[in-house]
Amino acid sequence: MIWIFVNGGPSHVDTWDYKPELEKWDGKTIREFAPEFSNTTGFFKDSVGNLMKSPFEFSARGECGKMVSSIFPHLGEHVDKMAFIHSGYTESNNHSPALFAMNTGLARMGFPCVGSWVTYGLGSESRDLPGFVVMSDPKGRGLPKGHAANWSAGFLPGVYQGTHLRPTGDPIDNLHRPATVTNESQRRQLDLLGRLNRPHRERYGAESDLAARIESFELAYRMQQSAPETLDIDSEPASIHQLYGVGDEKCDHFARQCLMARRLVERGVRFVQIYSGGMENQRSWDGHNDIKGNHQQFADETDKPVAGLLADLAQRGLLQDTLVIWCGEFGRLPVAQIAANPGRDHNPHCFSAWLAGGGVRGGVSYGESDEIGYKAAVNRVHLNDLHATILHLLGMDHERLTYRYQGREFRLTDVAGEVIQPILA
Amino acid sequence: MTSRSRIEMNILSRSARNGGNSPVGRAAPQASGERRCCSRIGMAILLLIGSSQAASAQSPEREGLDWFETKIRPVLVEHCYGCHSVEAEQAGKLRGELWLDSRDASRSGGESGPAVVPGKPDESLLLSALRHDGFEMPPKGKLSDEIIADFAKWIELGAPDPRDSQAARKGLTIDVEAGRSFWSFRPLQQALPPVDETGWSRTPIDQFVIAAQKRAGSHPNPSATARLLVRRAWFDLLGLPPTPEELESWVVRLAGNENSDAATLSAGNGIDAQAWGELIDHLLASPHYGHRWARHWMDVARFAESHGYEQDYDRPNAYHYRDFLIQAFNQDLPYNDFVRWQLAGDELAPQQPMAWMATGFLGGGAFPTQLTETEFESARYDELDDMVATTGVAFLGLSTGCARCHDHKFSPIPSSDYYRLAACFTTAIRTEKELDLDPTGNAMRRQAYEDRARELQDALQLHEREVLPVQFRKWLAEYRAGSLAAADWEVLQGEVTSTGGTRYVAQQDGSYLATGEAPPKEVITLRARAERTGILAVRLEALADESLPGKGPGRAGNGNFALGDFRVGVASRPPAAAGQSPQDGAVRELKLTTARATHQQNDSSLSVAASIDDDPVSGWAIDGKIGQDAAAIFFAEQPFDLKAGEELVVTMAFEHPNQKHVVGRFRLSITSRAGLEPAVGNSGPDARIVGAIERLATQSDAASADWPIGLAWFQATTPEWQQLRQALAEHQQQGPPLGLAKVLVTSEGLPPLSHHADGRGFPHFYPQTHFLRRGDVHQKGDIAAPGFLQVLLRDGHDESHWQADPAGEDAPSSFRRASLAKWMTDVEHGAGHLAARVIVNRLWQHHFGSGIVPTPNDFGGSGELPSHPELLDWLAADLIAGDWRLKRMHKQIMTSSVYMQSSEFDPVRSELDPDNRLLWRRVPRRLEAEAIRDAMLAVSGQLDPTPYGPGSLDANMRRRSVYFFIKRSQLIPMMMLFDWPEHLVSIGQRSSTTTAPQALHFINSPQARSSAEAWAGRLRGLAPGDAIRRAYAEAFGRPVDEAELRSAHEFLEQQTQAHREVSGDQAAGLAMADLCQMLLSMNEFIYVD
Repeated sequence: MIWIFVNGGPSHVDTWDYKPELEKWDGKTIREFAPEFSNTTGFFKDSVGNLMKSPFEFSARGECGKMVSSIFPHLGEHVDKMAFIHSGYTESNNHSPALFAMNTGLARMGFPCVGSWVTYGLGSESRDLPGFVVMSDPKGRGLPKGHAANWSAGFLPGVYQGTHLRPTGDPIDNLHRPATVTNESQRRQLDLLGRLNRPHRERYGAESDLAARIESFELAYRMQQSAPETLDIDSEPASIHQLYGVGDEKCDHFARQCLMARRLVERGVRFVQIYSGGMENQRSWDGHNDIKGNHQQFADETDKPVAGLLADLAQRGLLQDTLVIWCGEFGRLPVAQIAANPGRDHNPHCFSAWLAGGGVRGGVSYGESDEIGYKAAVNRVHLNDLHATILHLLGMDHERLTYRYQGREFRLTDVAGEVIQPILA
Repeated sequence: MTSRSRIEMNILSRSARNGGNSPVGRAAPQASGERRCCSRIGMAILLLIGSSQAASAQSPEREGLDWFETKIRPVLVEHCYGCHSVEAEQAGKLRGELWLDSRDASRSGGESGPAVVPGKPDESLLLSALRHDGFEMPPKGKLSDEIIADFAKWIELGAPDPRDSQAARKGLTIDVEAGRSFWSFRPLQQALPPVDETGWSRTPIDQFVIAAQKRAGSHPNPSATARLLVRRAWFDLLGLPPTPEELESWVVRLAGNENSDAATLSAGNGIDAQAWGELIDHLLASPHYGHRWARHWMDVARFAESHGYEQDYDRPNAYHYRDFLIQAFNQDLPYNDFVRWQLAGDELAPQQPMAWMATGFLGGGAFPTQLTETEFESARYDELDDMVATTGVAFLGLSTGCARCHDHKFSPIPSSDYYRLAACFTTAIRTEKELDLDPTGNAMRRQAYEDRARELQDALQLHEREVLPVQFRKWLAEYRAGSLAAADWEVLQGEVTSTGGTRYVAQQDGSYLATGEAPPKEVITLRARAERTGILAVRLEALADESLPGKGPGRAGNGNFALGDFRVGVASRPPAAAGQSPQDGAVRELKLTTARATHQQNDSSLSVAASIDDDPVSGWAIDGKIGQDAAAIFFAEQPFDLKAGEELVVTMAFEHPNQKHVVGRFRLSITSRAGLEPAVGNSGPDARIVGAIERLATQSDAASADWPIGLAWFQATTPEWQQLRQALAEHQQQGPPLGLAKVLVTSEGLPPLSHHADGRGFPHFYPQTHFLRRGDVHQKGDIAAPGFLQVLLRDGHDESHWQADPAGEDAPSSFRRASLAKWMTDVEHGAGHLAARVIVNRLWQHHFGSGIVPTPNDFGGSGELPSHPELLDWLAADLIAGDWRLKRMHKQIMTSSVYMQSSEFDPVRSELDPDNRLLWRRVPRRLEAEAIRDAMLAVSGQLDPTPYGPGSLDANMRRRSVYFFIKRSQLIPMMMLFDWPEHLVSIGQRSSTTTAPQALHFINSPQARSSAEAWAGRLRGLAPGDAIRRAYAEAFGRPVDEAELRSAHEFLEQQTQAHREVSGDQAAGLAMADLCQMLLSMNEFIYVD
């Protein structure tokens, strides 16, 4: 599974949730539409503007005729592979709790994230790569809010936590030998280690950990070769580079990460999560200011790479076994946030997401927001439902994937969650 | 805190302390007023616990109660109880999870929400059901309109209801009484250790263990070798390996001259028991014991040094809690005090800095630093939840947190217990306290300071008394009349008032400094007399000050202000009648024509000219030069004088819609000199002083009113006096150089640790904790009075039994936590017996790898049962009998045969007991992250043993790992590799995983390599064979065998040769480092038998 995490909260009405009614409401106050609106939804309560239509044009794409924002010219070509959810909602209007909620089901720190549950449930398929890999913004815009808690294993054993590929420098800790140690020299070291460990292992024959630990050194030795090889996208042909947009100034960094993601899942990594954007405001999709410029910029960074990823997975026959998801931590309000170039503030009441591949029915849309996109209205999708659906698509029953901790059987979906059947192939 | 809540708290305290009669009339200054309020409310509630009957008798609702008894109760009994009462429940007829047979139950309501909301008929589902609006109740047919009107009136009256909580408790689905018979809640059983005829047993512990084995047809292993035992004890107690010298000397003492070969498992009852006991004492006395065992407790306490969540700000003074733990273990603080201090050390032992440090426990949890208004209250309930959950799990092994949303599913803990426990922490907050952690040194420093202060004072006084008058007289004698010119500006000093309620404090330099909270808007008026005549202009100086935002001079968030209007007038003020304020005469306003300033924000609406226009909003602002002094001069149309009895009235209006744009420090002055440019400051003496000097020069009379004025001016002009004065002032300003440490504590009534959301008005705590429905702050029930777990109250005692009283009326704290702490450690009637079971189990777990109860944080219904219940109780009772001393308990455990036995495996006994729950063998264990790292540093000679003080985030630091700074978003990668906790919730037992990234750490990390190189450096100079022998002794505490020696030797030769091509002379050293690195990587190094 590959999760494109649209970090900062993408505006659904400017991306995938076409709202022609919003043009009619443009310039009116939201209270005319929703008298209960209380200024507390957004984060900045003193700069609530009027309803604002999307600054982007929408046009029908694909056979399904999905209306797609002009910021996604390439992704628009793949709408027949995607199942859209337009009625997602969450609880917090604050980045880090909302990130935790999207990743773990709970808006607090300390619970296992989807990737940890998935690797706990499925195990790792790769002998020499971690099962769960996370990539964050390499352009110096920081980590998503809440940092590593977003890929934490919580109370699951630490082995299930996400391996964060460092955006610059060595992607994995200790992957490279010390300067004074050569490959041959290290091989001899490990051979010696094997010999010296043997009598101890024989004396303590009943302790299975000891054999596992001896094996772990061999695995580590292999990882030094295989991990850099996997992440080395330069070995890919020029046509593939072109497909993802590698070398294209706007999107080179994300193209590289998407291509790495494909190479990782190809080699048996279970779960890859890529964060688009870094911290808050203009460093991610968090368009408080200038929603137009902000979303155009981040769409430019990701449109071609993600479209390339979908096309590449499809042409390799990997898409049917690989679930790709595009989703952020919440949506954005249909009203403007007052600024010289108006932005949009956080909206926990509604967000859009899409899933593709891995058993998803393409070209369908599930759920609706209200006519202006303020709140999820029809077939509302709770995070538990989304998580239940993800686990289902990966072959797991969310009610049976449990872990006993502090006297209780914990689940990713707590005590709720229903699989969204209509988007299954 | 809002003013509304302050008032409510006052009322509450009044009713409790004074029976509701005497008003709380004192207008306390705001800052300390809040503090007192907190203490009052705390006491009020405590008193209510003890005397709930007295409290309800004071209820003013007699009339309403009559109404209930005559009009309401009969209807409820007849028409509702059939399906909505405890009886109905017992008969299996309960409907809608709704009980109407108690006040609390009907207010908290059923599946659909609260049935009765006092004072709000429209929100009371009971009434809408009776009206057949939504629900239709009773189902048999609608009641008469008259009865429905009676219910409506009753609810409007506030739904007075005498059916108190006792009845409500009966309504719980949990049978607390039956719950008391669950094993962990029962009192300690006093079983005698069974007799062991085999002679294997050294202690009563062994007698319990071997009896259980016998019943299962199993038997124990013999003792391990002396060599293994020494190493085992070293790692268990200190988390470090013994040096070869230490090891050898103890082996000799334990086993005589037995030159035990590591491969031989001696059937050793040959271990000298006395020497073994001495070894344990020796290790328990080591300061490293605290380093090892404090870290175990830090897991349980989910202790970290940052807030967590998105910004994850540091808590730089949190490390004192870790230091407390280390000291507490090393000093062998009795465990009951250890518990009590962590819950309420500030209340129970306020004189002891360690007790304050201990309270870091409660505030150690993660807490979001970015909150919006809608999240304030739920965030505080989350924080209370963290305290309740951690307290329950850490001390009692009970997952009380589960009862936040519903009655506990596995343990007899009703949800109401959860909220009453939470109420114990209602007013507890994270705060910083300056503590004297070095009392002896500080006493000496204080004495030295006072001595010096006295010296300086004496010198100054002597000078003023003996020298100055003489000098002044001499100076006066030489003074030529008229030679002293008055300053340009005469500073106005008088009475300052503010419509915003701000108190302005007069400063030495004639300025006024605002105190307290800045009002959104205000009009400041200064009334003052003046000496000068022919006044031409008034000057306003807006002065920077450290106390103001951005150093001011304004009080807006950015330090700006906006002077909407500046007016000058003259008023006569007739003398006041006795006991009355003087009546203000009419103000004759003077026309101001022009204004100029040192700096103005713009030339239009924020210019100084706009302060004297007709627009009350526009006016002088200074953004662009924030944090600096500014001055503006306002020129009068005509020169003016003040007649006798007249005062100058200067009015400054700050009424800009941007809030708090008011001035923080200002000085007003007048001048009669023409042509002055706007500038800050003044030179030369005041006109008043010049007058005094002129008169004294004619007649120098020391008794005249002019003398002190003149002398005060004169002395300040002499360098001698200035020096003396300055020396004293500087000394006083520095204060005694005490070594006070700022410590993050959890307490009450102190200013809360500042929070990001303070600017949005985050209150830090709410004066009351409510019962919540499904944990939702939008579904509040009644106020929860502080209380404990009912299942752990015995012999008919209720909470009042443990009531702790504040030390005095002004105690800043509620003492609810002190009460909780007393109950928690009360073995007779409270939870002490369970607390003792839980801690001896934790000790056992760290000595054996698994507890007698294998779920150390869960002694409730969902936890596992003890493998040896009688042994657990014997240990708990022994701990209590031994004054709760943990060191003694370590020794009890470690001197047992079961602790000392070997790890030999036996398939037959393993078949009987594969998990070794009966302890027929010792199971070797992998060391934890800290011990692995510390052992690597120790063996390589790099370990820095410096104790205490701030921690470090540097992965390359050389101190013990307990001194890593625990930052939740930057957990030390190497520690995380080896299953370090996330430090978010209490962890009773870490997992122990084996992964490839761990192996990468050993073969490639700079830390492992650096240890290997340092170690190789220490071995340099030894012949290869000797170096290998020494390395084996240091790393594994045993001699190297022939085969190992050969392998290592060959390796060294090969590596040296390989390195020689590149590194030349360095080759042998590098090869040795390569070898050392592999020794550190060996299983034997990190698995301790």
